[in-house]
Amino acid sequence: MRISIVSLLLIFISFHSSPGQTFNSSGQLEDDGRFAASTKQVNQFFRRFNAEESKEGNIRYYPEDENYRDRDLRRNFINILFDNETSDVPVELKREFINNVTSESYPQYLRFHGGDWFAEATTVFNFEGKKHDVTLFLKLQPEGLGYEWVIENVNFEPFRQAFDKPKGDDKKFLHPLSHELGFMNLRKAIQDNPKPESYTPKDFKPEYLTLFIYEIKKGRLKFETVKEVKYHFFQIDKWYFELAQFNRPGFNTGWLISNLVKLDDGDKEVILDFIYEQR
Amino acid sequence: MKKYVSSLLILFMASTMMAMAQDDNISPSRKQAIDSLALEKVKDLSKYISIIGSKETQFSEATRVMDRAEELFAPDAEMGVSSVNRSEIAYYKIRRYFERLMALNYDRVNISWYDIHYISDLERQPDGRYVGVITIYQRFEGTSQEAGLNYRDTTKKDITIYVEKKQTQIAGRTIEFWDVLLGDVRVTETSA
Repeated sequence: MRISIVSLLLIFISFHSSPGQTFNSSGQLEDDGRFAASTKQVNQFFRRFNAEESKEGNIRYYPEDENYRDRDLRRNFINILFDNETSDVPVELKREFINNVTSESYPQYLRFHGGDWFAEATTVFNFEGKKHDVTLFLKLQPEGLGYEWVIENVNFEPFRQAFDKPKGDDKKFLHPLSHELGFMNLRKAIQDNPKPESYTPKDFKPEYLTLFIYEIKKGRLKFETVKEVKYHFFQIDKWYFELAQFNRPGFNTGWLISNLVKLDDGDKEVILDFIYEQR
Repeated sequence: MKKYVSSLLILFMASTMMAMAQDDNISPSRKQAIDSLALEKVKDLSKYISIIGSKETQFSEATRVMDRAEELFAPDAEMGVSSVNRSEIAYYKIRRYFERLMALNYDRVNISWYDIHYISDLERQPDGRYVGVITIYQRFEGTSQEAGLNYRDTTKKDITIYVEKKQTQIAGRTIEFWDVLLGDVRVTETSA
């Protein structure tokens, strides 16, 4: 009941005032709390998730600080790190997740260099005179004296359509005595058949990243812009969550958890396939 | 004045750390000093943007301020701008962005800044330099009396900072200090 009243009050405030109506003594606009509440950077998401900064976000906590990774602070933080307006994360699931990651016996934290998380960037490229969405999957890797983001995988519809290996009777083949004729039938196979992927091994999988780089180098694929970025986290044992950015009025904004799944054996691979293959 | 205090502080800290010249890790206290210096540069940028955007600023003065503002940035820095209705990023070179700001057709332009900022951790990149991001919020108000136009927006600015350890000679001694340069800026219109 108390939560409902607070929520109603927040909604009321968000409709009836706009931030920055007043100035402080140094001539700066005073934030009414919305920008402070917003999870402004992915970095802040990490810090809040781990309780490595103060409520206001202006003090960074280090291991020697008393409040560093304080359990109560963490629980409060993680509670506000969910998208409460558009995502349908069940309350019970959310509670179980929070209890799990803040457990006294086995607390789990996010580690920036810990792996098992990656970015999904929806970009726009010009290809054969038309704008196309290209989904890039990026991960952090150690390099030289530090780290770098690298493109690990690509999803591009024209590439997917270009590789459609026929099955069964529709699949052409090079007969098993082709070698006796010095593979002269390759001419027919490759020149006359629009699906040369028919002559590849069963486990053939086109490598889209290589193709993508080749097309860029040949000047046929030209970068235009970035549309959207989100992140996928598998770092918490037996959990998956998606992190997305919410730019809207109110206090529940910035980088927030937009999807949460409890994982059973084999679920991780299913979700990864879905993320990589869905488009 | 604050700028000089921060710079001196960094210089002082660096000199006291000379015995550890090979240690390139950034301690929490050094991080705080670097944050202060970076924030001073961001404040300088905010001030320059307000001057460039003001209609009361003469062309010659605006050009001079643009030169100063450009000096805050790494050479290839860009602004990436998107709005609430258009999530795609439009890219501008820093100078071009300032020129567009100066050319805005409003009789009155008012640019103000919110009292909130956020400074990320510093991460080391492959070349050994450190990189961080400072987030600030800006309110823009433009009025054109003739066209009866009144435009207002609030933008979030995520500003890249590059932090690099440099050396200088003072009275024959090699002093190491940390220098901060601004990089790419992501400008996002907020729904606020």
